[in-house]
Amino acid sequence: MRMLRQTWDLLWRDWVLEWRTRYALSGIVLYVLATVVLVYTALVDIRPQVWNAMFWVIVLFAAVSAIVKSFVQESQARQLYYYSLVHPLALLAAKMIYNSVLLFVLSLLSWLLLALLTGNPVKDTGLFVLAVFLGSMGLAIAFTFVSAISAKAQNSATLMAVLGFPVIIPILLVLVKVGANALRLMQDTAIMGDILILVAINLVLLSVALLLYPFLWRD
Amino acid sequence: MDKLIRQNWWKALGVGIMVYVFTVGMLVPLKPGITTVAPGAARTGTDVTLDITGYNTHFLEAEDSVRFWLKLDNERALSARAVQVLGNNAVKVTFAFPEYLPVGEKVQPFSILMDNAVDGAIIRPDAVYVTQDSINPALGEAAWDNAPIADLHTHVGMTFPFRNILGETIRNTYYHVSLWLAMMLIFIAAMVYSVRYLRTFDSRNDHWAAALTTVGVLLGWLGMVTGAIWAKFTWGAFWSWDIKQFTTLIALLIYMAYFVLRRAFPDEAQQARVSAVYNVFAFVALIPLIYVLPRLTDSLHPGNGGNPAFGSDDLDNTMRMVFYPAVIGWTLIGGWIASLLYRTARVEESQWDGYETGSQNKSTN
Repeated sequence: MRMLRQTWDLLWRDWVLEWRTRYALSGIVLYVLATVVLVYTALVDIRPQVWNAMFWVIVLFAAVSAIVKSFVQESQARQLYYYSLVHPLALLAAKMIYNSVLLFVLSLLSWLLLALLTGNPVKDTGLFVLAVFLGSMGLAIAFTFVSAISAKAQNSATLMAVLGFPVIIPILLVLVKVGANALRLMQDTAIMGDILILVAINLVLLSVALLLYPFLWRD
Repeated sequence: MDKLIRQNWWKALGVGIMVYVFTVGMLVPLKPGITTVAPGAARTGTDVTLDITGYNTHFLEAEDSVRFWLKLDNERALSARAVQVLGNNAVKVTFAFPEYLPVGEKVQPFSILMDNAVDGAIIRPDAVYVTQDSINPALGEAAWDNAPIADLHTHVGMTFPFRNILGETIRNTYYHVSLWLAMMLIFIAAMVYSVRYLRTFDSRNDHWAAALTTVGVLLGWLGMVTGAIWAKFTWGAFWSWDIKQFTTLIALLIYMAYFVLRRAFPDEAQQARVSAVYNVFAFVALIPLIYVLPRLTDSLHPGNGGNPAFGSDDLDNTMRMVFYPAVIGWTLIGGWIASLLYRTARVEESQWDGYETGSQNKSTN
């Protein structure tokens, strides 16, 4: 019970921090506008294939920019203060839940913006929302853990890219495929298998992260 | 472990096995086979002369006993009207097709069966497609001049299986596939040592994990290079962004990030702890990448998308006699390299310790 309470408090604190600066929210609007304008001027006609690729690229970079700071932004002294107050797993869980929800909202927002600017090619909305939900969860889990690792080193932004990108490629491969199905670019009757794989990857990454974090946080 | 790495018997065993694998794997010939049959199509009621190219065959040596059949099914076959041997690997065979075939299909595939005293029996499935102008199975039965396949010879001597297109590259099973399995064993060992480090915080476990990961990445690159060379001969290009190649590249990048991570920490205890955490994480991320994702999309790789794998049919007993020792051999050699890296790291560490205590002594004096 105490851990749930602590997790909730940390979640609330992260949200207040975000709302005061609106760093991630304004960043994502900028990303979407910049990408759409660039791709539009280069291609003029944005076909569904390009839309699918563009959407996941935007989600990926939104994830990087929003999550990279989750452990890095706080000074060593303040982290020590947190650890003396709360259980380390509550800290990690709060960051992961917060980042998942934030990334999910940001992805829906960029979907809305893209739909306004280029039209909405998504045919199977339920499947696409499911893909966005599982994808933002997977990206958030992987990047939060990688950010926790790289926060321990000096030049953590570079390290985060080096560690993070290979790890999230499997998730992205499945996401692009599910996205193509939701856009009816391809028809796959066994698409639920891919969804299950996405769920499995998320669960495995989550459990490994929770198992390993107690070894990581202490200095 | 510390005792084992100073003993030599397993290193000698590894070298011995690899010498065996390279000698036998490279020198044993392939079983005779048929590579091309031209033309691949014929019409009923005509005489057709087929140009047949063999591989490792001995048509000249066994000229008197060379026989050919066109096989329809297990009971029915046509025998050749004339056989003209041009060389050990080239032969012209003439068949006479009746006006009607005893089947209800417009186009009927026939398999080519060759038999001689030296090479034994060779079959090439669906080699010739025969088109009939009109279908009449009853007339076909009457006109069918059945020549039962009998008195076949068997090939003597140790050979590896012949597969069309693969040809000699089938030997790559001993190097590419076994390197890959050895790499997995070594990565598993590295992960076990990382877990042990997190339980004991003993720096020896960290040195083992780092040494084994280095060797695993080395074997991974070798596996990728041997795969690319094989792909040049069978797929036509070294690199074709096949899902297997792509996921393998990503897997190696994940492990190379491990070394970048190690260099990022000046403090040794912190370096060991964080890299042990990442090593476990990397191994878990490797499993969906190598074993799950390639099954989702089409691939040209053997074992995917209807391509033959080196499973029960293709990995015959002569290949097993080389393949399994190869896995053990690569693992032993990999363990040897890892033990050398481990010992170097230990010596370096003790040198630093000696240097630090030495300088401390100097300052206190």
